[in-house]
Amino acid sequence: MFSSLLIANRGEIACRVMRTAQRLGIRTIAVFHHEDRAAPHVALADEAVELIAEVPTAAYLDIEQLVAAARATGAEALHPGYGFLAENAGFADAVEKAGVVFVGPSADVIELMGDKIKSREFAAEAGVPLAPSVTQTGDTDSFVAAAAEIGFPLLIKAAAGGGGKGMSIVRSVDQLADAAVTAASEAERYFADGRIYAERYIEQPRHIEVQVLGDGQGKAVHLFERECSVQRRFQKIIEESPATNLDTELRDRICAAAVALSARAKYRNAGTVEFVLAPDGEFYFLEMNTRLQVEHPVTEMVTGIDLVEEQLLIAAGAGLRVDQNEITQTGHAIECRICCEEPDKDFRPATGAVRMLQEPSSENSRFDCGVRQGQTISASFDSMIAKLICFGDTRDQAIEESLEALGELVLLGVANNADYLSQVLAHPAFAAGELHTGFVVDHADSLAPAPLADLDKAAVLIAAALGDEQFSRLVYETPEPYASIGHWRN
Amino acid sequence: MAFKFKLNGQEHVLGIKARRPELVATIDDKSYQVAEAGDLGDGGSLILNVDGQAYGVWRVATEHGIHLKVGGRSFFVEHEDEITAAQLDSGAGDIVRADMPGVVVSVIAAPATPVTAGQAVMVIESMKMQITIAAPRDGQIGEIHVSQNDTFDKGDDLITMRPLED
Repeated sequence: MFSSLLIANRGEIACRVMRTAQRLGIRTIAVFHHEDRAAPHVALADEAVELIAEVPTAAYLDIEQLVAAARATGAEALHPGYGFLAENAGFADAVEKAGVVFVGPSADVIELMGDKIKSREFAAEAGVPLAPSVTQTGDTDSFVAAAAEIGFPLLIKAAAGGGGKGMSIVRSVDQLADAAVTAASEAERYFADGRIYAERYIEQPRHIEVQVLGDGQGKAVHLFERECSVQRRFQKIIEESPATNLDTELRDRICAAAVALSARAKYRNAGTVEFVLAPDGEFYFLEMNTRLQVEHPVTEMVTGIDLVEEQLLIAAGAGLRVDQNEITQTGHAIECRICCEEPDKDFRPATGAVRMLQEPSSENSRFDCGVRQGQTISASFDSMIAKLICFGDTRDQAIEESLEALGELVLLGVANNADYLSQVLAHPAFAAGELHTGFVVDHADSLAPAPLADLDKAAVLIAAALGDEQFSRLVYETPEPYASIGHWRN
Repeated sequence: MAFKFKLNGQEHVLGIKARRPELVATIDDKSYQVAEAGDLGDGGSLILNVDGQAYGVWRVATEHGIHLKVGGRSFFVEHEDEITAAQLDSGAGDIVRADMPGVVVSVIAAPATPVTAGQAVMVIESMKMQITIAAPRDGQIGEIHVSQNDTFDKGDDLITMRPLED
């Protein structure tokens, strides 16, 4: 095992990686931009290196500085976390060339899976089902004609895309040309790669993904599925494992497809193969993420396997410690992503200082948090600041635990989605497992905040007033006899 | 003496009817018996009892208002002064200002374009999300203060609205 590890990331994931590394006796090295100098990941690390950049995100994207930091601190390995450079083949290559082990797949596999078109071709060769699709190779007119042949509705996507950027649903032929031009310009803008493709859009699709581990020699195992259908703006907000209402035979076929793909790619590292599951039980390859996933803790909870530890062991050349038949799925886990945003304003990101932060204390919960009380949430980084993961013997229990823990979480000072997540978890359709990626939009009305009862409203206002200096002075510091007279109306 | 607080966009008038032996507060002329236990400082938690119903309360006061978690839900309550200031600051909705720093993705409506409230006039990106800026009211676009790909800071002017008859 390595003796030192540089974590090329920030926030909750940097902290989470460090915790496992420290448990394994590995010296941890953080990197940070000036804006993050007092962030938890810096405090938690054994050592920290400042990255200089005018724009905060640019610091965590600066390959040269990161490689230099790894060298200067004598880091034996580098963990990229997720986001930033985690799926950048050039970065993986630069790290390896500097004599530092990259905790991830080889650069060529990152490149293969990072290209939506090439990865689809590769998946098809591995026998993984694909939704009917067409790629833009020539001008817009021929693309529009070919796309229209698949039939509507269609999903238009950027070839190099992710995170919903450059993605749109097209329902009729007259919208197609405009959508193609917009998608190509967005693709160019976000990914510096204007290639797009169109595929059949599945109505009410579910997002099912499979956690895999591969040794880089062609051996791969799966750690079962996760359901990530509850999304807003094409981004997941609640994930769970196992998926509900998914029969075992179908689940096994999806997991087998993920393993086949990973084995064929001689995949090394933890990875995730994402699928779209149609209401008719057909499933289609979406993409493979060649890194640790945000929602990996739900898999850890139901399998009892620490995925970061396995990543480190694989990177250190120890291979896979577990055979497929030794991996079991027990109980049910749900993750809620805590984001600084305003759900009732179209999930608009919010900024501000975290004035009070009290983590949930319930036994069956895990709170992976990347901020501390007093820290300012700026617009520089992603709005997700923490994840709440809860375990139950059954799905109902996991929901109960999650609701309890969300009730215990105190996060004041910056608008966030904790109450909204409670609304989703308490929704009858969520309890019934009637999940699809349009859940949040379809149930928008019933997910709006419940109106406040008069007494509850009174409690809120009185609690606020008692925190107001003038009001509380009047209540507590008025000398007798005035205090007993009451009624100060003037 | 009465205090005004704003919750969920609604103004409420709070008064104190009695302080001994028990606090009796009035909200919009309705009375409530109040008892509390626990930390009463700026921030911290307490148990608040209103008309016999107990509420767990966490509370932080800031310069903008009071952030609270009450009965498992989060709230933000503004002081009356803050409301007035906010109303003045927004110039009755005539200048659309940036809530947060970002970059202009595209400008949809040109100056002198008549718009109706809620109509999309600009797309910005902030914190990796695209946000559509809508006209705050019916009228016409007066001035567009930014162009495509411009960056802006929190509080910067984006769009000035004009009445239609101008």
